[in-house]
Amino acid sequence: MSQTNEMSNDIKGFDPKILGFFCHWCCYAAADSAGVARYQYPPNIRTIRVMCTGRLDFRFVLEAFRCGVDGVFTGG
Amino acid sequence: MADKSGSVLILGGGIAGIQSAMDLAELGYYVYLVEKKASIGGVMAKLDKTFPTNDCAI
Amino acid sequence: MEAGRSPNIEILTNATLHSVEGKPGAFNALVHQEPRYIDEDKCTACGMCKMYCPRPVADFYNESLAVIHAPRIDYPQAIPSAYYIDPKACLRVNYETCNLCAQTCTAGAIDFSQKPKDVELNVGAVILAPGFGKIDNQVLSRFGYGRFPDVVTSYEIERLTCASGPSEGHVIRLSDGRAPKKIAFLQCVGSRDETCGNGYCSSVCCMYAFKEAAIIKEHEPEVDITFFFMDVRTQGKGFDEARKRAESKYSFRVVRARVPRVEQVDGKLGLVWVDEEGTSRNELFDMVVLSVGLEAPEDAHIISAAAGCELNHYEFAKTSVQNPLTTTRPGIFTAGAFQGPKDVPESVTQASGVAALASELLADARGTRTVTLTYPEEDRTLLEEEPRIGVFVCHCGVNIAGVVDVKAVRDYAATLPNVVLYDDVLYSCSQDALKGIAQKIKNNRLNRVVIAACSPRTHEPLFQDTLKSVGVNPALFEMANVRDQCAWVHAHEPEAATQKSKDLVRMAVAKARLLTPLESQTVGVNPRALVIGGGGAGMTAALSVAEQGYECLIVEKNDVLGGNLARLKWTADGQDAPRILKEMIDRVRKHPKIKVLLGAKLESVSGYVGNFVSTVKVKEKVQTIEHGVILVATGAKEYRPKSYLYGENDRVMTQLELEERLAKGKTSLKNISNVVMIQCVGSRGDDMQHCSRLCCTQAVRNALKVKELKPDANVFVLYRDMRTYGFHEDLYSAARRKGINFIRYDLENRPEVLKNKASGLTVRFFDKLLGDTLDLDADLAVLSVGVEPTDNTGLSKLLKAPLTQDGFFLEAHAKLRPVEVAVDGIYLCGLAHGPKSLDETVAQAKAAAAKAVIPLAKGRVSVTPLVSHVDQGVCIGCGLCESLCPYKAIELVKVDKRKKAQTITASCKGCGICASHCPTLAISMGGFTDEAIFAQIHAFAQQEQEVR
Repeated sequence: MSQTNEMSNDIKGFDPKILGFFCHWCCYAAADSAGVARYQYPPNIRTIRVMCTGRLDFRFVLEAFRCGVDGVFTGG
Repeated sequence: MADKSGSVLILGGGIAGIQSAMDLAELGYYVYLVEKKASIGGVMAKLDKTFPTNDCAI
Repeated sequence: MEAGRSPNIEILTNATLHSVEGKPGAFNALVHQEPRYIDEDKCTACGMCKMYCPRPVADFYNESLAVIHAPRIDYPQAIPSAYYIDPKACLRVNYETCNLCAQTCTAGAIDFSQKPKDVELNVGAVILAPGFGKIDNQVLSRFGYGRFPDVVTSYEIERLTCASGPSEGHVIRLSDGRAPKKIAFLQCVGSRDETCGNGYCSSVCCMYAFKEAAIIKEHEPEVDITFFFMDVRTQGKGFDEARKRAESKYSFRVVRARVPRVEQVDGKLGLVWVDEEGTSRNELFDMVVLSVGLEAPEDAHIISAAAGCELNHYEFAKTSVQNPLTTTRPGIFTAGAFQGPKDVPESVTQASGVAALASELLADARGTRTVTLTYPEEDRTLLEEEPRIGVFVCHCGVNIAGVVDVKAVRDYAATLPNVVLYDDVLYSCSQDALKGIAQKIKNNRLNRVVIAACSPRTHEPLFQDTLKSVGVNPALFEMANVRDQCAWVHAHEPEAATQKSKDLVRMAVAKARLLTPLESQTVGVNPRALVIGGGGAGMTAALSVAEQGYECLIVEKNDVLGGNLARLKWTADGQDAPRILKEMIDRVRKHPKIKVLLGAKLESVSGYVGNFVSTVKVKEKVQTIEHGVILVATGAKEYRPKSYLYGENDRVMTQLELEERLAKGKTSLKNISNVVMIQCVGSRGDDMQHCSRLCCTQAVRNALKVKELKPDANVFVLYRDMRTYGFHEDLYSAARRKGINFIRYDLENRPEVLKNKASGLTVRFFDKLLGDTLDLDADLAVLSVGVEPTDNTGLSKLLKAPLTQDGFFLEAHAKLRPVEVAVDGIYLCGLAHGPKSLDETVAQAKAAAAKAVIPLAKGRVSVTPLVSHVDQGVCIGCGLCESLCPYKAIELVKVDKRKKAQTITASCKGCGICASHCPTLAISMGGFTDEAIFAQIHAFAQQEQEVR
């Protein structure tokens, strides 16, 4: 919990790098639709498309964190 | 029997016409999809979501 | 929306049918086509033309709630993906002035020299699927539409709730732009209303009203929503449950009344109605939504004259219960809402069904007109070299380049390892650009290609085709989505969007370096179908498969064919059901391509689409059968009630039992004067949760039959909602005209059937109008018992085909794949799928036959290469993957006496759940290998280092 406090202190300058694993059939499609509808969202996410989030191996998540990613988003 | 044509005309490019066209093409027939408007899709393309799953219509 | 890509579907837009001459199998159709003024092959849908057009036009796609310009595209995903010019508005077309758009079009697509033309087409069959028309504004004006701006139609609500619609998803009052606090939905506007000529029920409005209301609540949780229903008709599969969930989640109020008109009172809308107790009530609302019905298309007469087929009394296509998809002219078929009001799953089902009919008629000519695309042989020497990657960055006109610095991304790509060619393209998907890309791939001996443009979901196949056209394996391709998921969503942050584009390109290149060619495999198909169940659905499906030219085996558990159809005496349109059954059985028996096994039980099924092996037990003897597809038509059974004295008193019977009795004629009603029918016995939260869909129509039809045989008999129908949807409403109206009494009851206040002293029956029920419990003497109590699924668990396990909560088989997709199950090669029809009437069963059986014949007709099933592959040297045979696979696509086989996993590529969907769970990392996924994903992760992290 003390970590949360530390984080909120410099939340203003926090510009997280987020890695997304998007399911081809749903979340990736939704992200495309968001574009078609011109929804605006912060440019912090980079996407890896997979055919299904079933593909998501926990090693991918761990490796991402090891490499310094701030957050991992999965959508499926 | 050889005088039969292997093509089908479908009038209407809504969800029914499109589905028929895709099935017939897969079944080995050539399809002319005749649509009154400038694009296919019919009414379903206007729907925001569909009942009951609220899936996107497009 | 894959129709735009098939080489065997030619789309003629702005086109109408003028005439159809000739005979079934050989028609000559004349089609008239108006010009688009924009060449669809050249147009890149950049939208430059509309920006320069000075002519504003009301946007009919958005129900005229928005303004656009003369050059237009109806919606961003339209097919053809090209603009057209609205000739009514265009200054150039009408006055030969302006021409601004033609000058701004960089693609040179605008062509005002186009003229209307007539096209003559030789076709074997014609399918009419023109959809439905709109209820006349005059009918809507009775409810204040057009006079009061806050009375809107359900179509307008669809556009208002849409995020890309005119109000960006906000529901507003059109009068003052404010958010409404109280909304009323008025049902049956233009439906079930003989005063406007539409006596039928439109069958879809109840569902869409709930859907629209739910979406409004999602947007504005504070708003109060009231529905005014006569009957709540959510009879579709799973619809009742969805409605109940919505009602409680969003606390909707349901009033059972028909509101005759709407008045404006102090800027609000006043509704007056009479409730079920007979009291007059009134209330003010901020907004009124009219749930408008479906009507026959405006041009129904023109279509029927051109096609030479008749319309019914509501000007929809005339069809019958026995042949629901056939018009009055042989060789001309119909599907969708033109056949009668219906929802999306029903339309999609009929669409496939009608494809089967055309395919039956034209079986001899199959494949004579189709085109097959051919590609040059793959150049295998390319892969002997290091990766030679080409990166193309697309401007997409201003769509990407307006935000992202395309040239900077292109130059950045040049710095990435193995990139030997980099370029930017104005429209990478245009025909010219594709040719250019193909040439560059060839000249530079590229063996990997990355395109930074839009979404692989829509454009990957197009670019992969370009690779194939120059002998490069299509798997050696990767896209970076810098439009839909970058430029469009970060429109105000060009620098960040450019940085993101660079990152996405770097990740794509990192993956591309590790891509390997994948072979698109095909497997042969055993051209026979196995049909499980020999009732109406199974026989219809088998006959269609056989007429389309393929062998069929029907496995029936009983000793006779017929199933539930054998118990029907009349169809809803008054045809002789036993005659229909006899004809069907005769045709099945005589068909050289159909074999029937009676008293037979399916014991086992193995294999996959194209190559199933099943065993069937017939009288203790087991036969092995090889076949390519399976059709499930196992039917359902009549529910057996445990209440209402059923089985204890012979005056209590089911509707089917009454039907059998009535078939004996007048004597069957001797000494009978009072008949009481009770609806929803077993259904809708009684014993079973689902609505049985067909019992309301069945009850009304039997009630009419009682009146026909004995006009002075009294008939009472105790119901919860009369669900005589579609044209069945005619029977309901006729029943009320004939003096049949309909009395509504609630689930909490169920009627009772009691024995009385005079050896007769008493039916006790609560009458809302009188506010009292009434006793009615009944000579017959008839229970509408509904449809109960047979025990499908065994078959479900055998086929790995899942069931719904109610115990019926679950389709692969409720809307778009209503007759397929999740396992490839298995199709579904009839009562096994859910309760439905005979005409719906016939249409669905035809649809299942069309889907089942697709792999048989192709002769081979091609398998996408994005499948799993097991390295059996590493596999320990633990079986985890087999147990996890949702598609039955991985199996354990014995290799040198050890168990090893093996992918059944024909069934694999490439989801990767096996690979991510394999404890020894023995499974790799085509196109999505561990190495490639790790490379993407590392490429992503690399930027982190640069930034820090």
